[in-house]
Amino acid sequence: MTPAKNILNYSYYPGCSLHASAKEYDESTRGLFKALKIGLHEVPDWLCCGATPAHNVDELLSLSLCAKNLELSNKVDGDLAVACAACFSRLKVTQHRLAENEEKRHQVAYALDAPLALDKPVKHLLEILAADFGLDRLAAAVQKPLSGLRVACYYGCLLTRPPDVPELDDCEDPSIMERVIGATGAETVSWSHRMECCGANFTLSRPGVVLKLSGEILASAKRGGADCIMVACPLCHGNLDIRQKEIEEASGRHYGMPVFYMTQLLALAAGVSTSKLGFGSMMVSPEPLLKAKNLL
Amino acid sequence: MKHSKMTLSAETMNLGFVKKVEQLSGSSVRRCFQCGKCSAGCPMRSFMEHPPNRIVRLLQLGQYERVLAGRSIWYCASCETCTTRCPNKVDLAAIMDALRKLSWDAQGPSKESLVQLANRLFIDNIRTYGRQYEMRLAAVFNLKSGKLLKDFMLGPSLFTKGKLKVFHKKNRNIGEIERIFSRIEELRRKGEAT
Amino acid sequence: MSRIGVFVCHCGENISRTVDVEKVAAEAGRLFGVAYTCDYKYMCSDPGQNLLKKAVAEHKLEGIVVAACSPRMHEKTFRNAAKAAGVNPFLCEMANIREHCSWVHEDRDEATAKAIDIVTMMVERVKRNKKLQPITVPVTKKALIIGGGIAGIQSALDIADSGHQVVLVEREPSIGGHMAQLSETFPTLDCSQCIMTPKMVDVVNHPNITLHTYSEIEAVEGYIGNFQVKVRKKARSVDMAKCTGCGICMAKCPQKKIPNSFDKNLGFRPAIYVPFPQAVPNTPVIDRENCTWFKTGKCGVCQKVCGPGAVDYTQEDEIVVEQVGAVVVATGFQLYDIGPKPAGSPIEGYGEFGYGTIPDVIDGLTFERLASASGPTGGKIVRPSDGAEPKSVVFVQCVGSRAREKGISYCSKICCMYTAKHTMLYKHKVHDGQAYVFFMDARTPGKGYDEFWRRSIEEEEAVYIRGMVSRLYQKGDKVVVMGSDVHIGVQVEIEADLVVLATAVQPREGADTLAQKLGISYDKYHFYSEAHAKLRPVECATAGIYLAGACQGPKDIPDTVSQASAAAAKVMTLFARNELEREPIVAKVNERFCVGCLACRKVCPYGAVEEKEIRDRNGNLIKVVAYVNPGVCGGCGTCQATCPSKSVELDGYTDEQIMAMIESL
Repeated sequence: MTPAKNILNYSYYPGCSLHASAKEYDESTRGLFKALKIGLHEVPDWLCCGATPAHNVDELLSLSLCAKNLELSNKVDGDLAVACAACFSRLKVTQHRLAENEEKRHQVAYALDAPLALDKPVKHLLEILAADFGLDRLAAAVQKPLSGLRVACYYGCLLTRPPDVPELDDCEDPSIMERVIGATGAETVSWSHRMECCGANFTLSRPGVVLKLSGEILASAKRGGADCIMVACPLCHGNLDIRQKEIEEASGRHYGMPVFYMTQLLALAAGVSTSKLGFGSMMVSPEPLLKAKNLL
Repeated sequence: MKHSKMTLSAETMNLGFVKKVEQLSGSSVRRCFQCGKCSAGCPMRSFMEHPPNRIVRLLQLGQYERVLAGRSIWYCASCETCTTRCPNKVDLAAIMDALRKLSWDAQGPSKESLVQLANRLFIDNIRTYGRQYEMRLAAVFNLKSGKLLKDFMLGPSLFTKGKLKVFHKKNRNIGEIERIFSRIEELRRKGEAT
Repeated sequence: MSRIGVFVCHCGENISRTVDVEKVAAEAGRLFGVAYTCDYKYMCSDPGQNLLKKAVAEHKLEGIVVAACSPRMHEKTFRNAAKAAGVNPFLCEMANIREHCSWVHEDRDEATAKAIDIVTMMVERVKRNKKLQPITVPVTKKALIIGGGIAGIQSALDIADSGHQVVLVEREPSIGGHMAQLSETFPTLDCSQCIMTPKMVDVVNHPNITLHTYSEIEAVEGYIGNFQVKVRKKARSVDMAKCTGCGICMAKCPQKKIPNSFDKNLGFRPAIYVPFPQAVPNTPVIDRENCTWFKTGKCGVCQKVCGPGAVDYTQEDEIVVEQVGAVVVATGFQLYDIGPKPAGSPIEGYGEFGYGTIPDVIDGLTFERLASASGPTGGKIVRPSDGAEPKSVVFVQCVGSRAREKGISYCSKICCMYTAKHTMLYKHKVHDGQAYVFFMDARTPGKGYDEFWRRSIEEEEAVYIRGMVSRLYQKGDKVVVMGSDVHIGVQVEIEADLVVLATAVQPREGADTLAQKLGISYDKYHFYSEAHAKLRPVECATAGIYLAGACQGPKDIPDTVSQASAAAAKVMTLFARNELEREPIVAKVNERFCVGCLACRKVCPYGAVEEKEIRDRNGNLIKVVAYVNPGVCGGCGTCQATCPSKSVELDGYTDEQIMAMIESL
């Protein structure tokens, strides 16, 4: 565990989506860390972690890709900060699985043609902010309190499951997202579908699945009285945001619920300029809501 | 096949298959006592012809064909809820991964070609570019699945919002990445890995 | 009696909420013969009882009525208080104005009027109560134990170790029961004989235990503390005093092919035999039905070769009379047989499983004999039909049990565990064999039990299939099993080499006859009835008779041994005193009026009525009358209701009393 220092520094693994469909997550993360004066340096030549499709059909490939990323991350100082929940999960699972299975370690080492270097601590942005940086310091850094904003924190599947791997929070009743966004003065709501699956990868091959599962999540957030949903995963974001109109059409219900990446809200609270927060990239525009709450 | 009579004998129960799945997944299959908790919490259950507990049951009886032929394992979302809640710590998510791998290898008739296609294209992208080329993934998928107009309406707005990266460069270390893939293939050819 | 005290209890609010207790006390005070009344919040409490005692002393009360809860709650409490105050406890009665009044009515006026009526009746009754003294009966400190299985053996050893005499009667030539037939026992897989034979030897060597094997109970008379039992010692045809157990007779007997029922007819024995090599006592018996000498008068080899000359063809059954103070019934169980049952039988057989005609379809005890190292195959699991080693064995659970339409609705308790055990025994001996089990539930509640069952599936690779079997039939040399897997929802068919049925546990044949001899109750399945299912599990309603083991209900070895020791403890409690005190509310026959019709004897459920001869001074018989043994009488009053001449009445419940109570309303 990194002892609390006055100056924090991290190596950074953005993951494929953050350079493409989730680029507002990348932008707001960089903006937030800059505002909080936390160092963030991207790992050079990182590769795709494989996400779900790799381990779904080829676990050895998935372990090898992540092991390669961990090896590459040693080129940059500082624990490895990860924003995407899936990448985070894969990197941590790799560390766990290879620690327990000698045969797989041999196989992966052969695939990489190099001895394994897996020890870099992998941390999600949430634990960096809650534990390393500290909620008090975060609260102190708030320049624009998000009071009046009612946020439904959506964990999805991979931040807390499978148990004992992410080491982030309790797997059935986590509170880390609520605590982090709570430090900005935002109100968090209690709702039933915080950790239910959004439909994940089926958005490509079987979108009907997403319409059903993400539809239930939106309905639950609305029942809980939320103004918006906060996520930490590009795929969850895509399913809830990009397909929201389709879900409305299919279900006949109106949601109009903006879906924020956590760092967009945090950076907004920390005083980062809204032009750097990627609000324009969101399919469900947050502007009406933020204007109504005097946050723009 | 789903409903037909099951004749059990040393020959018809492919217990070697069970051992292979246990070895690949690192989880016991025999521990499952069919409590049904996994199926109760599975978000994809209603899309599956065999709910998760039935997949394990068929597996316990070594029913190779029945398990791998169906689409149920391909509808698993890898949400890990089953593994989290199993009272016996049966890692069902890992078992599903192992079953998919064996089905993938077997290249036998599977009713779920779309999900398999999506996975295949995703992995191909990594091999070619090093990172995921989302636009290519979606475009080739539409082409190969014959659903040319799928998500067509989303295209323009995604593009104007800057979410579609049209051009994609290969990683500098694409040679090393290719080596990872070919070395894994080599291990498999030599029988040193599944 | 003219000085009765009436104490009306509020019972907190239980009574006073609905009944005007002050009014009841006031009205009771106006009754003729009542010298004192009061009401109090909790009469059963310490201050309440002191109030009672004080009132008795101050007002010189001679009789007490406590108007409160049910006598089943506190009769003893108040009778003790009365006794402490110097009033005969049987002159203290309770008027139930709670369960019979305040708890079942809502209208205050009506309830109060009813309470007054109840108190009035009780006052009338108490006026006619007699000062009864407890009855004492002597206790013979010797126990009879019927049944020499593990239950009987355990009880016998416990009672004998406490210093009392024990008579153990066993029907078979050797003690040991079914436990001696088992190979290994769950959940530890201990060898059954290894843990049992030391106890068997202790029994035969114990100075306080008299062992009668190859014996049956002929008749039982008497009552608690004083039973006379006739034991028929069947003729062994071998003099036990002379026999050294050398075994030459058995080796030389020319009749070798008699099926041995101990080995479930898988093995054979000679006509002169011990049921198994570790038999206790190790003295053979001659099976006269199959012995050549007894059938034709020819042979006699055993007598010729017997060194000590112990073989005695002229030996006859002997009746031994034992005087005992307590009886422990430990007759055990037998397994249900799937064969066809006679017409009109409440229990059916299993035609769908072949009615027992398929040779490779066996039951659990037969499997035990196959697996047992001292069994007919030396511990090899083989098919009865051809002696080949079975490579696939199907175990079917719940055969007969939990089948109310087939006549047995209960669960036999031990089968889930012993089937799991069987799969393990099978796997240990036939490494490449496959065990399948068709089951409905796995009832494994004991210590280490569920883990044992899981081991069968997870480590020993038994395939458990949830679903029942519809049919078994012979196909070539295999048995086809048609079952279902309820979880998958498909039919399952298996061609098995051997099928083992977990058949229901039933009480032994003849359990009803023995119960009738003893005067104890049994249920519709012939399991013996305990006095109270939860609070008195080892006693019978009939005083002095106790239950141990599977004769009371299906049971595994740990529970059997517990129950046996519990029954022994009850016996030891009984024997801890030289005399027994019994409640004196018993029937008394008025010998002047009784004509000796003995209708009362026919209806008495306790067997308490005897014949008594009334003779004149010269010894001539005047008449025979009924006599109620106060030690056995349970005070039920059935005789009183039956007697046509009103010659027998219960002290405390005479017709005069009942009439007075009715007329007082």
